[in-house]
Amino acid sequence: MALALGAKSSAQSWGARTLSRALPGIKVYGLALSVSFGVIAAISAALGYSVPEVLRTLVFSSFRSYAGLKSTIKISIPLLFTTYAFFIPAKMRFYNCGAWGQMLFGGAMTAVVALLLADWNLPSVVLIPLLVITAILAGGAFALIAGYLKADYDINPIVSTIMLNYVAIQCVGFFCTARGFLDPTGGHPQTKLLPSSAALGFVGGIPYSFLLAALTVLVVSVLINRTRLGYEINAIGYNPVAAQSYGIDFRRTLLLTFFFGGALAGLGGGLEVMNIHNRLLVGFADISGLELGALGILATLVVGENPMAVPVSCFLMSVLLVGADRLQRTMQVPVELVFLLQAMIVLLIVITRAKLSAKR
Amino acid sequence: MEAITTFVSQTVLYATVYTLVALGILIGGRAGIFIIFGEGILLTSASTGLIVASSTQNWFLGFLMGAFVGGAAGLAFIYLHETYKVNQFLLGIIFFILGAGLSDLIYKLVIGVTLTPPLAPPTPVVGGKILSELPILSGFLHQSVVVYFMYAAILIAWWFYYGTKVGLETRAIGENPKVADMVGVNVTLRRYLVTIIGSILIGIAGAYLAIVVIKTYASGMGGGRGFMAIGITIFASWKPQRALVGGLLFAAVEVFSFTLQIAAKNFPYQLALMMPFLAVLLIMMIFKKRIEFPASVGDPYSRE
Repeated sequence: MALALGAKSSAQSWGARTLSRALPGIKVYGLALSVSFGVIAAISAALGYSVPEVLRTLVFSSFRSYAGLKSTIKISIPLLFTTYAFFIPAKMRFYNCGAWGQMLFGGAMTAVVALLLADWNLPSVVLIPLLVITAILAGGAFALIAGYLKADYDINPIVSTIMLNYVAIQCVGFFCTARGFLDPTGGHPQTKLLPSSAALGFVGGIPYSFLLAALTVLVVSVLINRTRLGYEINAIGYNPVAAQSYGIDFRRTLLLTFFFGGALAGLGGGLEVMNIHNRLLVGFADISGLELGALGILATLVVGENPMAVPVSCFLMSVLLVGADRLQRTMQVPVELVFLLQAMIVLLIVITRAKLSAKR
Repeated sequence: MEAITTFVSQTVLYATVYTLVALGILIGGRAGIFIIFGEGILLTSASTGLIVASSTQNWFLGFLMGAFVGGAAGLAFIYLHETYKVNQFLLGIIFFILGAGLSDLIYKLVIGVTLTPPLAPPTPVVGGKILSELPILSGFLHQSVVVYFMYAAILIAWWFYYGTKVGLETRAIGENPKVADMVGVNVTLRRYLVTIIGSILIGIAGAYLAIVVIKTYASGMGGGRGFMAIGITIFASWKPQRALVGGLLFAAVEVFSFTLQIAAKNFPYQLALMMPFLAVLLIMMIFKKRIEFPASVGDPYSRE
């Protein structure tokens, strides 16, 4: 149907042309959403929950109150960073599953630097940029390990980044309990509070880090669409052999891409530590880590190719997360049900997209 | 001597998980299917296997459940890959995430939050008085029947790939599916079979992890072993007999890291727990340059 509309479109109005262009998208997302929500409705009915209540809570919790919207945005910001960490290397068909670890390592290093400098009483103007740079460099360096392992030893980045995730978890635990950092009053292993000048602060309940997130969206879309590196990334993703024979330095592009992806995840982690937790805590590995790392992958696969669509998909994923949290608290529905829903939506999107592209 | 025997026994206990998962991945890889979602199967079959085993108090039913879950996951994966030609790696990552979510969801729905976690029934142990008193060797022999299943699986896989014509053909699919197709091998059917068989082995490993090793279920109990097993297949050059060596090696590192964690009080235990993962990377770096990789692993195959 999409093809038939497309063929006639030259003689048709602008509206019909737009429709024909949007039709594959509508098909992909419509099918995925309706099937997965249908399955979730069936599961919740089978488990004895009220289906309309489950769906309403899941979808509208973010929009019913300002608090819901605030927490949605609060989750979207780190998710945006982990999504780009997967998105950029995925452009060249390398799958960085280590956004989790890069985020934890970036966050851990930020806390370490902030605590080491705590006695100097640096003003925010100096301290915050310093910590942001630390987070970027730490996350990038951590991802570079996987980059080098791919470039020099041809080790699949999926395996190496996941191994490094587990290393990063232990790093967080190590720094939390390290002598001089440990907060002896905390019930769980956690560091002392960071100096107050390290916090970015909030505006109307929304952390200021959303400015950096917005900047990141711009930087990434310029990088992908307007720069030489972006062109090279796309070329390698499209056909690595051809790209190399046209003189693209594969190794250099690979390393830069991994550094860039990891740097964003690290920045996300650093901002979480500076602004939300104000300290490094062992729970950071579970609360922020696993969920955001896996969801970043899912959010990328939802949008496919367009970097500007990433914020939208991150926001929608966060809507479901906030809904999931509310479901668990009000109706005792396990959050994993929503996690399953998200993975299922993405699986269906990926399959439908593959099916459509095979037909063409 | 006692300490060494205990160490060997513990190593073999953990090595069975690694080796079975690695064997599953290897069987898929030999025909060009990269089962990168082993960790997802491991988790889901651990939770379902334990639930069935502890509620029926029958270890065998637990293992059947684990095998069934693994086989179902493998069938779903290979169907989506062969029918829609979705990239194996992307599909694998999604399956891993699905498995990680599903394992906890099923456990929460069936068991819920309890003060005392459900315990697995004991599995029969091979070896009478004589076997259990042999120094060192008893670590290998005085073990659960599932460990013997693992030994048998390795032997059968080794004989299959290097002793039979069908095995040779299956290896050929991994090297060049087009040529295998030309000589009359049904590539699609074989790929279905290997993925399902490989996934069943991983499912059994998951049930073993929950029922025999840990004896209960904990969220995220796979601990990355499904991914570490990929390191073992690479160490093993995709040869079944060497997968056992790799499994023992990795398990030894893991058991050593536990021992270190308990024995050395001043040594930061986090560094000890990091060791198995760093060992995977190190071993892959050392062996990567001299292994033979099945040439078509990860590529979709279509006849036109």
